[in-house]
This record gives sequence, structure tokens and C-alpha cells, in this order.
Amino acid sequence: MNILRSEFLKLVSVRTTWILLGLMILIEGLVAGLITGLADKKDLRLANVPDLLVGTPFSILFIVTLGALISTNEFRHGTANSTFLVTPRRERVILAKLFVGFVVGLVAALLFVAVNAGLGLSILSSRDVPVDSDTAVNIYIGVGVGFILICLFGVALGAVVRNQIAAIVGGLALFLALRGTITLFIGDDVGRYFPAESLLGLQGNPKGEGVLLDQVDGGLVLGAYCLALAIAGLFVTRTREIT
Amino acid sequence: MAELTVERMTKRYGATLAVDDLSFTVNAGVVTGFLGPNGSGKSTTMRALLGLIKPTSGEALVLGRHFHELTNPIRTVGASLDAADVHPGRTGRSHLRTLAAAAGLPVSRVDEVLDMVELTPARNRRVKGYSMGMRQRLALAAALLGDPRILMLDEPANGLDPQGMRWLRDILRALAAEGRAVLISSHVLSEVEQTVDEVVVIGAGRLVMQGGLAELVTRDQRPARVRSPRTGELRDLLEEAGARVTTDGRAGDILLVHRHTMEQIGTLAAEHGIAIFELTRDTGTLEDRFLELTGEKGNVR
Repeated sequence: MNILRSEFLKLVSVRTTWILLGLMILIEGLVAGLITGLADKKDLRLANVPDLLVGTPFSILFIVTLGALISTNEFRHGTANSTFLVTPRRERVILAKLFVGFVVGLVAALLFVAVNAGLGLSILSSRDVPVDSDTAVNIYIGVGVGFILICLFGVALGAVVRNQIAAIVGGLALFLALRGTITLFIGDDVGRYFPAESLLGLQGNPKGEGVLLDQVDGGLVLGAYCLALAIAGLFVTRTREIT
Repeated sequence: MAELTVERMTKRYGATLAVDDLSFTVNAGVVTGFLGPNGSGKSTTMRALLGLIKPTSGEALVLGRHFHELTNPIRTVGASLDAADVHPGRTGRSHLRTLAAAAGLPVSRVDEVLDMVELTPARNRRVKGYSMGMRQRLALAAALLGDPRILMLDEPANGLDPQGMRWLRDILRALAAEGRAVLISSHVLSEVEQTVDEVVVIGAGRLVMQGGLAELVTRDQRPARVRSPRTGELRDLLEEAGARVTTDGRAGDILLVHRHTMEQIGTLAAEHGIAIFELTRDTGTLEDRFLELTGEKGNVR
């Protein structure tokens, strides 16, 4: 418990955490409000509702970055020295960071759903645009689990690649920049198992049916990536030299 | 048992030999200066003692055990390896709180150590606004959090003004007087010569000497300076007696006598009725001696 308290203190005692979460909510709120409020009703009925529920790529950007910062701040600012002096069993530190990443992903998911559903769905309802409640719930669950997993992915990636810039750029490249491009070359059959594509599958956007993995499989594949990275992060942190 | 033991430790990074078969001990109740030029292996040795790196061979032990085997590390060893190792966006107090929380120490201990290092007025300021001296104080506060029996500080005097140096000297001496082992590294002897009781001098990763500070100046290795009106005659007598004699290039009536004590020189002169106007030995400064010891070893490997 001590190490968890310490890791949560590290998270909340820097402004970056609040800035990234605040920006995420602000952007998602603005986008949800503007699209549902200003878009043509016909367009909303036809196509845009599932996209709106999934949110913008900005959420991914902020959450992957937050996850990577949880791990890499230790090396970026040299606090790994004192952290590992107080807790020489380094794997405990990484496990605590993964737990913090889980909580950050969960909080981000709850905030996202609160803003997206509270603002977007209420505006849609007031404009008589129907939203299938089963679809909405499935998408929100997928988005929420996805947020938790990509935050964990960021934490684990940061534990393996301790260079902060490399971890953040690598994470964003995997989930944003390379999204869709790999599948162009190797096809959907293999491409849908890549991190970004498995996240899209997990989010459950109906437009991805047949191309992407279904929600459960997408979650399992992304979870497997996180697990593999976390194990690698635990191993290298335990054995690496802190210089 | 020594508080810290480095036993035939070697650390190699690829082709670079950072520490080479180094052995020394650090005892309780004294301030030990760990001295050597930049790059001589001081930080590597300290990191090995703290379990942050693994020696290629040999041992680096705390109370006879590896650091990770200590049951309560923060109460055993307090260390600061670099005063810059703080997230600049945290306040001094929140930085210490993260460490105290991990160690299960109460917040009141954070305020105590902040008070000890006289940083209480700045405790809620972000570290990026701290001066180097304030960061050194914060690093010392972090090292003191667990009230440890061993204190290990890497270059703690870096960036301190004369007032800060005096403060550091007083607090380290007081901590040693309480029975703690204090190991401080420096590449500038003058920074620590008024603080340390013992020294471990290394150069190019190898031990140059370990001993009391006084032993750093080995007086008899320096020549005696003799001024006399009959230097030619005295020189012949001394050389016959086995001494090596040179002259001070600046003054013809001064001899520099090696391999003879001042008592031997004075007695010889008296036996032959030679007047001596001056008989002294140039002890040099500690800094001179330190440079002599470490200079030839160099630090680039």
C-alpha cells in the first residue's frame, strides 16, 4: 500500500496530469457538443452517431502520453535513483505504476463517458435523433476498457523504453500514426491484430464489422499486448542498471 | 564489521574499465571523503553500494549485505547521488512526500527534515525555482528521511556558496558525531578537507590510498629546505651520508635535501660546526598531495 500511495502522490503532484486530463475532457466535450448541436440531422441519423460515441483520437493521444509519463518520468528526471533506493525490489514499483495506470485509464473513461453521454446524447435526444441504447452501451464499455488498456500499454511501454520521448512517440505511432497504414500493405486479416486496429475493434464501432476484430477479441488482443509489454517491463526494470 | 565494504570490486562497461579491483571500508562515527578526479569511478562505486548497478566482479556491501537484502533500506542508508534528480514540477515538500509514502514514514517526518536542512520557507515552491544550493539541501533532506545510520552523498558541496559549505560541514560533522557513517565524494579536496576525518582516494578506478586525512600529506616524501652560508660543504657531507641533494634554483644558499629527516640534517651540520639559518620542510597543501596522488593515474580510460 505504501508504494501505491507514493505512486499516486507522484501522479497528482505534477500539473501535467491535470492538464492532459483537462484537455482531453475539454476537447471531447467541445467536439461532442458541436457535432451533436450543429451537424445536419440527416447526417447524424445516417452515420455519425457511433463515431461520436467513440470520441476523437485526442483521447488516445492524451491517455497514452499519461501512461508513458507515469513510467518514464522516473528516468527523465532522475527520480528512479531515490525510488529504487526506497524500494529496492523494483518489480513492486512497476506493478504499482501499472495499477496507477489502470486507475488513470478508468478515471479518464468515466470522465469521457460522463461528458460524451451527458452532453452528446442529451443534445441528440433533444434534436430527436435516435440512438440505439444497446449500441451506445457496447461502445461506451469498449471505449472505457480501451482507455484502461492503452494507459496500461503506455505505462508498460515506458517501463521497457525508458526514454520519455521515444516511449510517447512510439505509443502514439502505434495507436495513431500507423493506424490503418499497416493494413494497407499486409491486409486486414493480419492487420486487425495490430494494437491500433485491435483498439478500434474493442471500441465496437459498427462500421468496423467484418474488417476489425469483434469487441471481445479486440480487447483480448490488446490486453495480450499490454501483458507482454508489462512482463517485459518488469524483467528489464529488475535487471537493468540504473546509471 | 564496517558499515560499507567494497571488496575487490571491478566494474566494466564494454571496453571501459570504470572501477578496477577496488577495496576499501567505511566506518561508523566518521566522515569519510571519497576523493578522485572526475570520471575516476566514485559515482560508479556508490551506485554499486546502493544496488543500482551490479559489479562485474567483487562485492559492494552495506553492513555485510547486498543493498537489496537490507530489510529496511531507508533506515539503513540515506543517499543522494545527484541533487538534480527531482521532478522540477513538484514542490520540495511533495518530492519528499512521495519518498516518505513509499517508505511508510509519516508526513511529519518530511517537515522535520525540511526544517533540519533549513528549507521550510521554500517547501511549497516548485523545485524548478530552487537554486543549486537549495537542491543540495533538498537532496540531503531526502537522504535523511529515514534517519539512516549510513549517509552517502555524491558531490554534496557542488554549487554551494561558502555559507552553504560551512552549513554542510557542520551538519555532516554533527551526524557523524551521532555515530553515523558518512561517505561524501568530491573531486575538489578543498571542498571537504575541513569536513572529513578519513579519506579514500581513487584514480582511474583504482585505490590510491585510504587513511586519515593527515596521512594524505606524507611529510617525509617532500625535501627538507636548508639555508646555510656553507652550502657547498654541507652538500658534500649530506651526499656522503646518503642524502639526495638539489638546489633551489632561485637562491644559491638553499639546499633541498631528500631522504633525510630534519633531525639527521641538523645533527650532521652541528657535528661539523656549520651554521644553519633555516631548516624547514615544505609540507605542501593537501590539494598538492591529492593532485600528486591522483594526477598520474589520470581519469580517461
